[in-house]
Amino acid sequence: MALRLRSRVAFGTAAVLALAAGIGLALFDRTPTDTTALLALSLPDSSGQPQPLAQWQGKVLVVNFWATWCAPCREEMPEFVRAQNEYGAKGLQIVGIAVDNGDKVQQFAKEIGLNYPALIGGFDAMDLSKDLGNSLVALPFTLVLDRQGKVAYTHLGPVKPDKFRSVITKLL
Amino acid sequence: MDFPPICSGSRPKPRLSVIERAARALAFGAALALALPALGQVHPLSPDKAFLFSAKALDAQTVEARFTIADGYYLYRDKIHFAIDPASGALLTPALPAGKIKQDEFFGRVETYRGSVTVNLAVRNFTPGKPLIIHAESQGCADIGICYPPTTQTATVALPAGSVVPGATEPPKKTWFN
Repeated sequence: MALRLRSRVAFGTAAVLALAAGIGLALFDRTPTDTTALLALSLPDSSGQPQPLAQWQGKVLVVNFWATWCAPCREEMPEFVRAQNEYGAKGLQIVGIAVDNGDKVQQFAKEIGLNYPALIGGFDAMDLSKDLGNSLVALPFTLVLDRQGKVAYTHLGPVKPDKFRSVITKLL
Repeated sequence: MDFPPICSGSRPKPRLSVIERAARALAFGAALALALPALGQVHPLSPDKAFLFSAKALDAQTVEARFTIADGYYLYRDKIHFAIDPASGALLTPALPAGKIKQDEFFGRVETYRGSVTVNLAVRNFTPGKPLIIHAESQGCADIGICYPPTTQTATVALPAGSVVPGATEPPKKTWFN
């Protein structure tokens, strides 16, 4: 009986430890949280005015890496426009970082009535996203930072509106 | 007190030692932990695998360049560019064939390639027998809804010495297909 109990305890402990180690490793691997470099970034907006990202610290900050040459990026942006409209007053700030040229960005921003800043980033900015979970350096890539500037959510590909809203409303 | 063995109709399960049980638990836990992040996630290919570039010398002046495009991925026709190294050589890229036409809401008519695409590049002013590096720039997307920035891949080919090699006198092949 004692042996059986001991073996059950051993089984349980080993399983829990292995699971915790695996999840820990997976999280460590998948969700980098150091946003210092990102928040230290200052990029020009589509009119050429430098915009430091630090100005939005304290808000729930959504950083969306995109480009006009990326059709799936353009398709998801109306959802960001709606979210900015609905939650902007509650402290949501969406910021787009376009890996693109200013003219194209300006043209597209006008077409969809963009209501949040569209900053122009080069491939350096994209490389920065690599350190924050975008290992393939592909687009669109979206990061949600909480009010403390920590990464709360990352997503490669178009966000699913329900999931996106549940993430931001929890943080607001 | 000892009991006589009872025949219950089913075979008795082999007893596992504590170590065996712990090992099983460890394997189970590890497998579960590894599987968890995969749930509900897509794992797109890296661009060099999605749009695999290769090149081979057909003769002393011709290099066949090819993109092998994975299922579910596509390349933009107007984003494909080639260059060679050393730059002292000259590279003539023929006009790329028509791709599949797609109406893009922002850019209008765009052409894309799926499956594979090959092109015969004409190389001039290059020393035969020396390695030649082909740089191929491409840009494409995946149907799951992601796009890659322009990517440059390279392939090294050795052009055969001599101006003509067997096969080079054949009529020109259709150089592109989809």
